[in-house]
Amino acid sequence: MNRLSLTDISLKVWAVIVFAFLFAPIAIIIIYSFNEGRLLVSWNEFGFGSFATIVTKPAITDAVLVSIQTGFIASLIATALGTMAGVALARRAGKWAPWFLILLVLVTVTPEIVDAVSLLPWMVFLGQDVGLSMFDNGIVRLVVGHSLFSTAVVAYIVRSRLIGIDESLEEAAADLYAPPFKRFTQITLPLVMPAVLAGGLLSFTLSLDNTIVSAFVQVSGTTPWPVYVLSAVRSGLRPEIAAVSTIMLLLTLGALALVAYVLRRAGDSATDIAKTVGGG
Amino acid sequence: MSHENPVRILASTSATKMIKSELNRRRFLALSGTAAGAALLAACSPQSGAGSSPQATGGALEGGLSIYSWGDYDDPDVVAEFSDELGPTITFDSFASNEELISKLIAARGTSGYDIVVPTGPFIPQMIENGLLSKLNLDLIPNIADMDPDFLGRDWDPTNEYSICKAWGTTGFVYDTTKISRELTTWADFIDAAQNEASGRTSVLDDPSPLLGIYYWANGIDWTTTDEADLAAAEAFLTTELAPHISAFDSYPGGAAIPQAQQILMQSWNGDARIGIMESDEPDRWQWVLGSPDTELWMDNWAIAEGATNPEAAHAFINYVLAPDAALRELDYIGYHTGGAGIEEAARAADLEMLDLVFFDEEQIKTMHTGKLTEAQQRIVEIWDKTKAAAGA
Amino acid sequence: MTVTVEDRAAPELGARAAPARPRRRLKLPGFALAIPAWAWLFAFFVAPVALVVWFSFGYKPGIFGTHANDVLSLDRYAEALSPTFFSTFQNTLWVGVVGTLICLVIAIPFSYWLAFKAPVSRRGILLAMVMIPFWTNFLVRTIGWQIILAPSGLLSTALQSIGVLDQPLEILFTRTAVLIGVVYNYIPLMILPMFVAFDRVSLPMREASKDLGAGRWSTFINVTLPLAKPGIIVGILLVYIPLMGDYITATVLGGAKGNMAGQMVANQFQTAQNWALGSAMAVVLVLTILTTVAIAALLSWLATWPLRARQRLVLGDKS
Repeated sequence: MNRLSLTDISLKVWAVIVFAFLFAPIAIIIIYSFNEGRLLVSWNEFGFGSFATIVTKPAITDAVLVSIQTGFIASLIATALGTMAGVALARRAGKWAPWFLILLVLVTVTPEIVDAVSLLPWMVFLGQDVGLSMFDNGIVRLVVGHSLFSTAVVAYIVRSRLIGIDESLEEAAADLYAPPFKRFTQITLPLVMPAVLAGGLLSFTLSLDNTIVSAFVQVSGTTPWPVYVLSAVRSGLRPEIAAVSTIMLLLTLGALALVAYVLRRAGDSATDIAKTVGGG
Repeated sequence: MSHENPVRILASTSATKMIKSELNRRRFLALSGTAAGAALLAACSPQSGAGSSPQATGGALEGGLSIYSWGDYDDPDVVAEFSDELGPTITFDSFASNEELISKLIAARGTSGYDIVVPTGPFIPQMIENGLLSKLNLDLIPNIADMDPDFLGRDWDPTNEYSICKAWGTTGFVYDTTKISRELTTWADFIDAAQNEASGRTSVLDDPSPLLGIYYWANGIDWTTTDEADLAAAEAFLTTELAPHISAFDSYPGGAAIPQAQQILMQSWNGDARIGIMESDEPDRWQWVLGSPDTELWMDNWAIAEGATNPEAAHAFINYVLAPDAALRELDYIGYHTGGAGIEEAARAADLEMLDLVFFDEEQIKTMHTGKLTEAQQRIVEIWDKTKAAAGA
Repeated sequence: MTVTVEDRAAPELGARAAPARPRRRLKLPGFALAIPAWAWLFAFFVAPVALVVWFSFGYKPGIFGTHANDVLSLDRYAEALSPTFFSTFQNTLWVGVVGTLICLVIAIPFSYWLAFKAPVSRRGILLAMVMIPFWTNFLVRTIGWQIILAPSGLLSTALQSIGVLDQPLEILFTRTAVLIGVVYNYIPLMILPMFVAFDRVSLPMREASKDLGAGRWSTFINVTLPLAKPGIIVGILLVYIPLMGDYITATVLGGAKGNMAGQMVANQFQTAQNWALGSAMAVVLVLTILTTVAIAALLSWLATWPLRARQRLVLGDKS
């Protein structure tokens, strides 16, 4: 039974190849972050200079801070809106549900470039013509742009998770005279917490990575990190970019480990977590 | 509640408090309603057209400054020194063509956040007309006296009300001598090499006008032509005979393409080529060629965007960079003539590298022609679009 | 605990003070929780996109004007579908379909291995490892590929040293490079749902199939794949749709050859200032995506029709 067949071996080899493929550019970037040359792409010599340069270049630290700030706010909004929508879809799906699902599908199906070219004129219209000056604020613009797709994703994840859990717990709470709000916060929410967390994490990542919409709607002075990299591609990439990526990778790994630990403690196995994120 | 016609209310004692707060609330709401309405009306009023009065008056410098310019167009040391000496921290954003700059400013309608912008001369009159630039307060820029008068008062802005020369340069190309053994000297040679040795390894500028320029200069046509026959011929040539051989639209080959040897033949601006060759591991591999028999003379200018939030810092920076020693260092970094008086002598005295890519003699300057923004602009951009589409096919 | 509320003035003045009526619990309709999300998406998605569709019927009124809608026409669509630009849509479609297929081919064996053959205790780490590239910035990953694929880069020197190539690798700025880039950027989005789908196919199901005499391959085709179908479909959609709209990867790695529809739309809005044409192109792009998905769905439905006609038993759990 445990004899390794040809299929098993070839599958394993394939898996190794795929992992190598997945990690090749990451490894390259990490290595090149130690490049002491002026250009990222031409290797000069090994050194830590690029990490030091990060501190001296306010443009870089500002960009990273803007990205992180936007990420937090956008994922908070997306998680809140998406969770509520997901719960409503799972528990109170009525005649309205197909229409809302169509809206969510449209949000997901629309390419990012269409979002970007539609949001810029709209925001300028809201900010200049309608007079809502908060839409001239860079962070507001970025947060709005990042939260759209994420809201749909979180809604879908939460809905999938909740549909798989039957209503008996909430019904029991209702039988015991718990008011709806209490039922929501003390029964439903904890039940979907893994999905909410996964959705929040996914939203944060999507926001950190969001390039196209950010490039269009951003206001100078609040440039997010991906847009900074995009403009650097034009004028010659410096090793500092790789250095920042390495640092961000380490931070992300740390955050991931933390979230996984929390979820494990909540009783979910790794597969369950993946299922939640994958929309199981 | 006016005092001419007081309102009298008879109510029980306990109710008075509530009535008062109610009326106060209504007054507050009314006031804020009016204020909001006024704000709405103000916001809805159209922007003033041909540039408003200068906003800077020599007051204290703000804490930040945002510059929207061509890529890698300022010496980082000069910039850092400005920030150290005078305070404002500077952020840069870059564009690849004037069309992109104008597009961004128009789409943002004053909310772009940029203070200083760097347009090329011919585009300035229309930018002024469309309210994209604000006037300069020349009292705050005394170092303008250090400029060579030849480069001030150009026909797009005769009184330098809106712009001051930042740098001027020209267009040519760079080729890899290890891959192309013959000598290339003209645009016709460029086209020929692109179709043969460098096919699939050629890059052209991501800028509509110089792209069409390749065709016009190689065929002795005035590149500011608006004749539809010329435009159609240019379109046919670019989309069918040049596009299939183009592998990249790159306005800054000096940034990565030259040092990395990504292409064999690259159309480029002189200063950018100089940066690239100097940064390359094998400088002798690359040969710069000034476009001939005709080519471009472009002049980029400092200008302040309408709606700039840091006008004092903007004026201070422009003034700082026009000073002779800063100008010389800028020249060395960007590789372009910055229009300063006596800067060529200073550069030769300082023994800077590769000055043949920076300074040109009379003969060469005669072959350089400034561009013009004509009614064919839309057609030109359309041809550029189609060339890109054809190159991707 | 009793609370007494006394307010004699209340009735005359509009009963604004706390009423003495019993508190009625607000009965919210079922969709109440979804209202904030609905409002948000409507204000920032539906409205702007509707605006774009509106723009697409307009025209460009002059050098510095971006759009005007006083004269409505379908001319911009004719322009967008003109031969030059149409070839870009074709190119995008080609990259989209081929890229998705390559992702599929790579992901199916990998997800199968991860779901069935990988040690269960290690699964969490393996899954995290799949996602880690996804957690790095998308542009930076693409630049990593640019370094690897450069003529003077690692792949080139490696291939030259073992003799496969006799001159520097010229893969950058070609469509192959674009494919490598897009496949790389989107493959985790294919692997994850596929893994979840395969994981659903419970072991007893497959063992039963084997007990009934089906070979390994036949089990895979007739049992595992059909049960995993929803996940596979999700994976395909999650990859195909963003891929069609992505243009940054293509431009960085493919240069001119990486001219995708998204780049064209961006050009119109960023450089050409022709919002009307750009909007028309954007609409055409979305319609292309929806049409291809619909056609693919139809084709797969038709293709499995003979199989479904033969099926007597419906295996597995429905969900």
